[in-house]
Amino acid sequence: MTIAEWVKDVVLRLARVPAQPHVPEGAEESVRMFNAGRNYFTWRMILWGLGNAAIALGLLVAFAFSFIPKLPPLVRAIWLAVEAGAVGIFVVSIPITYFLQRLNYEMRWYIVTDRSLRIRSGVVWLQEITMTFANIQGIRVNANPIERLLGLANVEVRSAGGGDSTAHGEPSSGHVGNFAGVDNAEAIRDLLVERLRVYRDSGLGEKTVEAREPLSLSAAREVLHETRALRNSLASGLGST
Amino acid sequence: MSVAPIPPHIVAIERPRESLMTYYVLTAIAANVAFPFVFPYLYFRYHTMRYRFDTDGIHMKWGIIFRREVLLNYSRIQDIHLRSNLIERWLGLARIEIQTASGSASANMTLEGMEDPEGMRDFLYSRMRGAREEKAGGAADPVAAALLEIAGELREIRALVERQRV
Repeated sequence: MTIAEWVKDVVLRLARVPAQPHVPEGAEESVRMFNAGRNYFTWRMILWGLGNAAIALGLLVAFAFSFIPKLPPLVRAIWLAVEAGAVGIFVVSIPITYFLQRLNYEMRWYIVTDRSLRIRSGVVWLQEITMTFANIQGIRVNANPIERLLGLANVEVRSAGGGDSTAHGEPSSGHVGNFAGVDNAEAIRDLLVERLRVYRDSGLGEKTVEAREPLSLSAAREVLHETRALRNSLASGLGST
Repeated sequence: MSVAPIPPHIVAIERPRESLMTYYVLTAIAANVAFPFVFPYLYFRYHTMRYRFDTDGIHMKWGIIFRREVLLNYSRIQDIHLRSNLIERWLGLARIEIQTASGSASANMTLEGMEDPEGMRDFLYSRMRGAREEKAGGAADPVAAALLEIAGELREIRALVERQRV
C-alpha cells in the first residue's frame, strides 16, 4: 500500500465516505458502471489551477497595497500580518484541495441498470442521484472546447421539471443527472437511448397509455427494416464489383 | 401493479432522530451573527416536525408560526437525491431530497433525520414509477428488448459491410 492509498483510506474513513456506491434495483446482468474519463482529472486540475492562480493574484495585489507611501506604520504592520496569515492559509490549502480534487475524480460512479440510473459523486459533500428510466424526459450531450481537446463530454439526463441548467461539474437543478467528464459519451448515450426505448408513455404520472401497436411488433418491424437494408447494402456491393 | 404493504419500521417513523437537533445546533452556531434568528427557527422546526408514511405517499409537517404541510405521492417521485456533508455523516444523518415534476429546481420535499437514510432511499425508490415491473402500458417488454437488440446488431453488421467496401 502506497502512502497515497493509505492517506486516502484514512480520509475516507474519517469523512465516513462509503467506499462503493449502492447499486439500484434492476436486473443484475444489466448493471453497467462507468467512471469519469482519465482526462477528467486534467480538466479538474485546469479549473483548480485557474482558481488558485486567481487567489494568488489577489494576494499579490493585496501585498502591493502595503507599498502605498503614506500608510501609517501601524496600519502597514497589521496589513502585512493579515497578508502573511492569508498567504499561509493559501499555501496549506493547496495540497489539501489538490488531494480533494484527486479524490473527487476517483470517487465518481455512474451506474446504469435496466430500470434506473444512479450517479454518485462528491467526497466532502456526498450525493447520490437516482432516476428511473420511466421518468426520464431527455438526454443531452455537451462538451466545451477544452473538454473536447481532452476527449471528454458530459451526458445530461433530465427528468420533468424546471430549474437552472448545469453549472460546470455539478448540476444546480434537482432534475438533472450529469455523467460528468466521461470519455465514452457516445456509448453511454446509446445505452441510455436503448434502455429508454422500451418506455412509451410520457413519463408523467399516467401508468397506461394505449400504444398504437404492441412494442414487440414495432421492434420486429425494425428488425425487418434493418435486415432489408443489410440485404440492399450487400446487393449494391455485389453490383458494383 | 401489486402494492406491497409498507414495512412496519417505516410506518413507525414519525419524528426525526435526535442527532438532527445536534446538527441544527451546529448549523445555528455556524450562522454566527444570525444565531438568534436561526436557532429558534431550527429549534421549532425540529420539535414540530412530523412524518407519516402511508400506502400512497408521505406527509410531512412542521412550523409553529407558519405551519407547513407537504404531501407527496410515491408514484409521482421523479428523482431522489441522497445528500450529506461531512458533519451530517459524522452524526449519521443524510438528507433525502425528493423531486416531483414541478417547476422549481429545488426539492419538493426534503426528509431529514431518518434513522437509516439509505434504507429509506431504497424504499422510496422501490415505490417510484418504473422501479418495478409494471404489467400494462409503459412496461418493459423483454421480447421487444431482444428484438431491438437484434436490430442493433444488424445495424452494426451493415455498418461493417459498408466500411469494408470503401
